[in-house]
Order: sequence, then structure tokens, then C-alpha cells
Amino acid sequence: MIAELKLLYAKRELLWAMVERELRIRYKNSVLGFFWSLLNPLVTMCVMWVVFKFLLGNATPNYSAYVLSAYIPFMFFNMAVMDSAQSVLAALPVIKKVSFPREILPISTVLANFVHLLLALVVFFVFLLVVWLNTDRENFPFTWTLALLPVLLVLTLMFTMGMSFIVSALNVFYEDVKYVTSVALYLLFFLTPVMYFSENVLHRTRDMGALGEAIYIGYHLNPVAVIATSCKQVLLKPGPVDIGGQQIPASPLPLYLYLWTAAVCIVIFFAGYALFNRMKWRFVERP
Amino acid sequence: MNALELKDLRKSFVLHHSGAASLKTALLWWKKRRVEKREVLRGLNLTVRRGECVALVGRNGAGKSTLLSLISQIYKPTQGEIKIEGRLAPLLELGAGFHPDLSGEENVLFNGMILGLTRKEIRARMADIVAFAELEESIDVPVRTYSSGMLARLGFAVAAHVDADILIIDEVLAVGDFRFEKKCYDYLDRFRAKGGTILFVSHNPEAVMRVADRCVWLKDGQVEMDGSPAEVLASYQAAAPDPEAAP
Repeated sequence: MIAELKLLYAKRELLWAMVERELRIRYKNSVLGFFWSLLNPLVTMCVMWVVFKFLLGNATPNYSAYVLSAYIPFMFFNMAVMDSAQSVLAALPVIKKVSFPREILPISTVLANFVHLLLALVVFFVFLLVVWLNTDRENFPFTWTLALLPVLLVLTLMFTMGMSFIVSALNVFYEDVKYVTSVALYLLFFLTPVMYFSENVLHRTRDMGALGEAIYIGYHLNPVAVIATSCKQVLLKPGPVDIGGQQIPASPLPLYLYLWTAAVCIVIFFAGYALFNRMKWRFVERP
Repeated sequence: MNALELKDLRKSFVLHHSGAASLKTALLWWKKRRVEKREVLRGLNLTVRRGECVALVGRNGAGKSTLLSLISQIYKPTQGEIKIEGRLAPLLELGAGFHPDLSGEENVLFNGMILGLTRKEIRARMADIVAFAELEESIDVPVRTYSSGMLARLGFAVAAHVDADILIIDEVLAVGDFRFEKKCYDYLDRFRAKGGTILFVSHNPEAVMRVADRCVWLKDGQVEMDGSPAEVLASYQAAAPDPEAAP
């Protein structure tokens, strides 16, 4: 793997060019360009506001901001994995004719999506500051935890890249992988505290004894769930959650779940890369 | 001094009879899966000295393209060794990876990088490349508006400015009109005058006679004959009397 990484480093200029090209192609023919990728989270936020605040009467303060802070990273994961599922297969005619590190294909797809994530986060911050300036100046939306954002982003990126390596490599040989992935991602969205909170899970399982604890921990063994909750905690000041009319105070996850998630992200990255490297020479020999 | 050294090179491909690659077929037929191996290269030995221009001839399926792909590091050999001395520019397809929605210039930048140039080097050569391809007027428009001749010219122009020591060419010389073809041959002459090495596949005996100073006939994944172009072509054509398979 060291040799592969060295070669990849030598070809880093090609990688950047590929990321740039991907961003360019995506917006070449559309007038509003980057605006389109912001529109999705904004529309989602509005819909969720209507459904949860207006229709269901959820009284969690700053509900939309919390949803958005987890929705933006989740959509990054979703889009990056779905895009890279096709990345190698779509480039098959090219990689049959020129030699370059094949992993550049999924990596550049993930990085292009990562650029969107960063831009979306900038817009998110601006949005929060504008709200803060115009409403109550007392409640500054950020805390010191924001300093942990880079760590969180790197772990998210590693996990996403690892999954993209796996999905893109397998999809070359079994095109069903793409469809399985899209269904899995859809289910994952509901198994991830984006629209709701980890506190909801805790509240539901608290009175169930050992079983409840097992469910709570089992739920959070899913790294995406912990990442989503971490995003809410890091990007915004943790606040009370409205559950059935009660204001439940924010309750952080046990530390070992964060450590577990970090370990899974790193392992998935290297395992994915190793799998990709094992399979990449067979891409061109696909039957 | 050798530019290329191939020792006992073997390459087999797995042929799947199930056809479509899908999870369903894999699950349903994993027991009865018929896997057949086809050995395309069978212990091929070939040494190309620096400055030589070698033409490869042979019938379809003899392993010419597989050999070039192996040298270009697109496949991994099943067995054997490939030694390359110097920078290699594979020209298996002109303009591989051109994106229809990007302009000619953007594609040149990208294509040059795939072929191993840095961004800076391409910027410095951009004017030369565009002039070589004779596309000064249309370099800023998306390449989907180009004709196939224009695409091929641009592809060749990029490849011609890579500064390679070894060129690997797979039947891509007959591009563009008569005038551009001459330009390509002139370029190859200059490349050789500078001491460059060329290995190319051609089905055109005139091209072989015109460029090569050595000809290798591949048959069933092995070298059948190796010698001067006139000799080898004569034996090759004598052995393949039907016009379809003639070079």
C-alpha cells in the first residue's frame, strides 16, 4: 500500500485537475451553478420545518438549524458514495487506454463532493450569523466545540472515501451494487439522527433496562449515526430537545462511542483502499 | 542500450460464459460457472534497443494490442518481466478521456496530465500544441462540436508534445487528411532523429515500410519472425493469402 500511496502522491496534480474537471463539468451547462447544490438542503430544511414544527408541533429550539447541521454532512456522504459507484465504470473506456492510478477516479469524485460540503458549511455559518444578528444577541450559536470540526471532517472524509473505494470497485463487476447501495443509503437516512436526535433514542430506551441500553449502544455503533450527532454537537451549541412536549436536556454520548467511530472510520478507509488496490488491475479485464 | 526488454511474457484472460456481470448471475450460477482461460501471450521475448523503430504485424487476435497494453501498464502480466528505460508515451487511442462538454484547451490540459505532463509544462506548450493540431480558431469551444478528424488531430498533437523517450502506437497514425498524415510522419522522423524509440502496430504495409527499421511478426502470442521490414512483410503476406487478414 505504501508503493500505491507514493504513486498517488506523484500523480497528485492529475488528482487536483480531475477534481477541478468534475466541478466544472457539473456546472458547465447550468446557469445557477453551485446554487443548485445548496438548493437541496435549503428545500429540505423548509420541508422539515413545515412538517415537524408546524404540523407536528415540535418545540425544540433551533430545530431547523440542528437538522441542517446533520443533513449537510449526510448528503455529502450519500452523494459521494452514489457518484463514485459509477466513477470507475464510467471511466472504463479511458482506463483501458491510459495508465494512471485508478483510485484517482473515486477519490476525485469524493473530493469534488467534499468541496460542496465545505461551501455548504460556509453558507450554513453565514445563515446562522445572520439569524443571530437579527434576533436575540444573547444566544451565540457556536461554542468552543467548533474547534473539533476539522477532526470530524477528516474522519467523515476517511469513512466516505473508504466506502466509495468499496462500492466503486464492486460496482465494476456487479452493477447491482449501485442499486443495493442506493436502497441502503435510503434506509441509513432513517437510522441516522438527522431529522431527530440521539436524545430521542436515549429517551425511548432509557426505561427498558438492559435491552434498552443494548439498543441505544447498538444504534450508535453505526458510525454515520455518531457522525451526525457529532455534527450537531460540534457545529451548534447543544440545546434541549423537545420530546412529547417535554424539554429533555442535551445528553452527550459515552466517550467510547466517539473513539469507536474514529477507529471504524480509519479502518474502513484503509480496508477500502486495500480492497480497491486488490481489484483495480482486474477492472480492465472485466468480462 | 535497451529501451524495452520483455522476458517470457505471458498474459491470460478469463472468459466468462455467463455474460452479463451481475450479482444475480453470480449467485445463481456460482456452482456451474464455466470459467475458461485464454492465453493471449505465450512466453514472448522481445528486446528493443534505444533509437529503434519496431513495427508489429500479425493477424487479429495474435496479441499485438495486448502486448502494447501490457507495456503501457494497463494490464498486469500473468507472468514474465517488462523492463522500460525512459519515459513512455502510450498512444493507444488519440484523445483518450476527452470530455465532450469541455473546451479543447481544457481537454488538452487534462489529457496532457494523464499522459504525464505537469500543468506548467502543458501551459508552456499550449500554443505549440494548438498550432500543431491547426485548431487555433476552435480551441475555446466544447469538443463535442469537433469533427472526428479535429479530435484526432488534437489528440495526436498532445501526444506529440509529451517529450517521451518511447512511443507506443496502436494504429492511430492514419488520422486526419493527407496533409496531417504527412505532418505525423514528419513528427515521427524528427522524434527518431532525436534518438526516440518507437513500437507500433500497423495493418498498413506502406506505413511499416515508411517508418520501421525492424519488423516483428506475432503469431499466437509468440514472435514468429523478427527481421527487416521487407523480409518479414514478405513472409507474413505469403503466409496469410486471404485479403481479409493481409496486413
